[in-house]
Amino acid sequence: MNTKKLTAKDFITIGIFTAILFVVEFACGMLGYIHPYIVASYVVMIPLVGAIPMMLFYTKVKKFGMISIMSVLLAIIMFVTGMGYLGAPLIILAGVIADLIAKSGGYKSVQKTVLSHGVFCLWICANYFPVVITAQSYRQGLVDAGYSAEYCDYLFRAINSKTIAVLLILCFVFGCIGAWIGKAVVKKHFEKAGIV
Amino acid sequence: MRLKLDPRTKLYMLLIVSAIVMMSATTPLLWTIRIVVTVIPLLLLISEKRYASAFRFAALYTVALVLTFRFLSEESTGILKALLTGYSGIVVQFLPALITAWYVVRTTKIGEFMSAMQRMHVPDGIAISLAVVMRFFPTIKEEYASISDAMRMRGIALGGGNAAKMIEYRMIPLLFSCVNIGDELSAAAITRGLGGKGKRTSVEVLRLRAFDWLLIAVFTAAAVVFVVFKYVL
Amino acid sequence: MKESIIEIAHVSFQYKGSANGFLKDISLSVKKGETLLLTGLSGSGKTTIIRLINGLIPHYYPGELAGSISVAGHDIAKTELYELAGLVGTVFQNPRSQFFSVDTDGEIVFGPENIGLDPTEIINRKQTVVREMQIEKLLGRSLFELSGGEKQRIACASVSALLPDIILLDEPSSNLDQGAIENLREEIKRWKEQGKTLVISEHRLWYLKDLADRVIYMDAGSIRQEWSGPEFASMGSETVRQLQLRPLEVPDISPPICEGGCDCADDCKTVSPLPLSDDGFLLKDFYFSYHRKPNLFGKKKLTGQDDMLSLCIPHLVLPKRSVIGVIGKNGTGKSTFLKCVCGLEKDCKGSIEIDGKTYKGKDRRKLCYMVMQDVNHQLFTDSVEAEILLSMKEGSKERCDTILESLSILAYKSMHPMALSGGQKQRVAIASAIAANAKLMLFDEPTSGLDFAHMEKVGALLKNLAASGNTVLVATHDLELIELCCDYVLCIENGKLGYMRKVGSLQ
Repeated sequence: MNTKKLTAKDFITIGIFTAILFVVEFACGMLGYIHPYIVASYVVMIPLVGAIPMMLFYTKVKKFGMISIMSVLLAIIMFVTGMGYLGAPLIILAGVIADLIAKSGGYKSVQKTVLSHGVFCLWICANYFPVVITAQSYRQGLVDAGYSAEYCDYLFRAINSKTIAVLLILCFVFGCIGAWIGKAVVKKHFEKAGIV
Repeated sequence: MRLKLDPRTKLYMLLIVSAIVMMSATTPLLWTIRIVVTVIPLLLLISEKRYASAFRFAALYTVALVLTFRFLSEESTGILKALLTGYSGIVVQFLPALITAWYVVRTTKIGEFMSAMQRMHVPDGIAISLAVVMRFFPTIKEEYASISDAMRMRGIALGGGNAAKMIEYRMIPLLFSCVNIGDELSAAAITRGLGGKGKRTSVEVLRLRAFDWLLIAVFTAAAVVFVVFKYVL
Repeated sequence: MKESIIEIAHVSFQYKGSANGFLKDISLSVKKGETLLLTGLSGSGKTTIIRLINGLIPHYYPGELAGSISVAGHDIAKTELYELAGLVGTVFQNPRSQFFSVDTDGEIVFGPENIGLDPTEIINRKQTVVREMQIEKLLGRSLFELSGGEKQRIACASVSALLPDIILLDEPSSNLDQGAIENLREEIKRWKEQGKTLVISEHRLWYLKDLADRVIYMDAGSIRQEWSGPEFASMGSETVRQLQLRPLEVPDISPPICEGGCDCADDCKTVSPLPLSDDGFLLKDFYFSYHRKPNLFGKKKLTGQDDMLSLCIPHLVLPKRSVIGVIGKNGTGKSTFLKCVCGLEKDCKGSIEIDGKTYKGKDRRKLCYMVMQDVNHQLFTDSVEAEILLSMKEGSKERCDTILESLSILAYKSMHPMALSGGQKQRVAIASAIAANAKLMLFDEPTSGLDFAHMEKVGALLKNLAASGNTVLVATHDLELIELCCDYVLCIENGKLGYMRKVGSLQ
């Protein structure tokens, strides 16, 4: 129980929370098809909503590797559902850094956890990278794929190499805010109920 | 006829399909390739007797394709058209990968999957976690259905118009349930030896048969042709 | 005298961060091949003993452990859990959460694969187990589509395939109907004949009383009493009741619950719904089907003539101010019936008439309130009080207190509902039903996994609800509960009305 190494139980916990996080992502993602600006607002929604399961997750495993493995799983799922192959390494990178930060706080420190979640949330931006890096061909691709020029213009006005910096910062900021809210929710419900 | 594919073939298909749909199709040839790699998993679904889902996917994909080609263009404007463009574009873009993923998840047993992961030298931990992800989607669905029943019964499905409440009412019982189930699930798995030091064996015999090789060849060819015609020529 | 295989010496245990679920200086030894039954109230430490033997304590559930446990020569404290896998097998309480695979075949071989047996050996074992248990029909299916009883059989098969010498069962019958319990009993009997050592923690005693070699009664973390099997089996019902245990005999409500051959439900139109009084809830045209062909042109209205109906109740009167037990096998449509009545299945267009008013569609939800089997799904807020106020339009705190008082849970007003015990959670759900002014209250298996004392409380509660003007519909497998509180029994078979009769006036 006190080993530093991840046990079978931990791997199962990681799997469960990854599934939950993906469902949250997917549910928010559905909204994105309504209007391209909503695609950009992922950076607000997913960190805020996803923070609730994530904060519970932070209290559950508390061993190095928890977030790294989760990010590997997310990268795999994102890849196979066709949501950005350029993003996969970035998701894992964000995960590993987030893991290291949380580890430096012993998975207990509130500040480190908040910071760690902020960094982890950058994985959401990974989905935008194809838009930015391959902007021109991606736009052409979308137009060819039948998107109207209007939709594309909206999309690119919202997401381009200038705004990506803003989006990254937003992701981080809302990741941190989400973490605070998530912590509060965990305290309000799970600590009060005595399960963490 | 039921074809039993090697899980590795399925994963390879998934890989290729998601790679192909991520590159935009610009010429009729490229579109043809895309459609071909979409139709194959559909046929496989049919061979597994999953007619209903195959039919639904096929209908959705066809409608989206027709809309995209016939009615929508770069010039289409207006809210309705923009929405429609968005939807059908998304469907055309993501559905092939989704169909393949659906096929893989629905027809691969956890045992087969674990065995394939082991053969591909994926660390046990990641294999276990991924298997749990696959095992857990239906569980989340069941739990959520029953939570949403409870919400409808109490008339709080919309959280009284409060978005935060809406999320809270869904998320909290779901998390409580998932954590409980997770605890019981791991206890049951561990008492049956999961996570031991010894090498896991498997009764699933993985063997690439002729049909596996055929599919691998077809998908490889599709990917190569796609890349060559898009980026080289 | 046979050697002992499980040796528990002076064990005390306290779960980390929790005040309850403790054991106080327990000493117990189990002989090889013995069948030991652990019984006692909920929270008396039965499950904790099971966890001591399979090593989940201290390796999985941390806490303060004193004393020593040795199982087949292994010191549990120093043995890794996976080393015990081929030695000790455990069947858990909840059939839904104890499988790892999605398919039945994979689940049976899961254990042997984990401990790294040779594949041919695993396949042999699987075939043997499947043949012995006669579960050929369950092979090749998804675990998600099986009934609770079938899942539990797969769980037993999965444990069997590891060929453990010791098998532990932790309240295995909690979610099962009578037929499934009979199957479980057969399985336990076979294990016993194979010379396995069995330790079973259970509230339901009737199916085990002939199998147990020894029975232990636990109370507040200690062993209070001990009987030999025959002594226990011949115990008077008075003594059993004093110990607050469930009866040793199944109360005979009616000829064995709706056995398959019963022809009373073949033609649902001809069943005369008892009682004939008009003073009640009149249910009309409740048709529902899970297997409808997709129809492109909107949904066809279901009628009683359709085949493949999962529920077919054209006409039924539920007498007012009574408790009505709904019985029938697992998967026979009890839960579907409840869901349709309270308007949770949109496709079911049935109407409810009461006091000259007709409730249809969503309106039914104003009239009905269901307390679900897994009550955790219907608790949303962070305190009991907030939970009740959520159901109340007017939000009157005084009324909330009155309701809580009447259910004797006022003391927990500010606590988080999830921190309460199962029975208390159920009361919170009932309190919100009362707060929502529900007239027809539906309960789905309210007593699964409860000990007799708690079941009596639930029974009394249901009677009280009926006495204060509500009508209670309770789907249950617990014949004891029906005997305790029901005025009528309604039998549902394959989605059709089997019969409805008054309790106590049989044949």
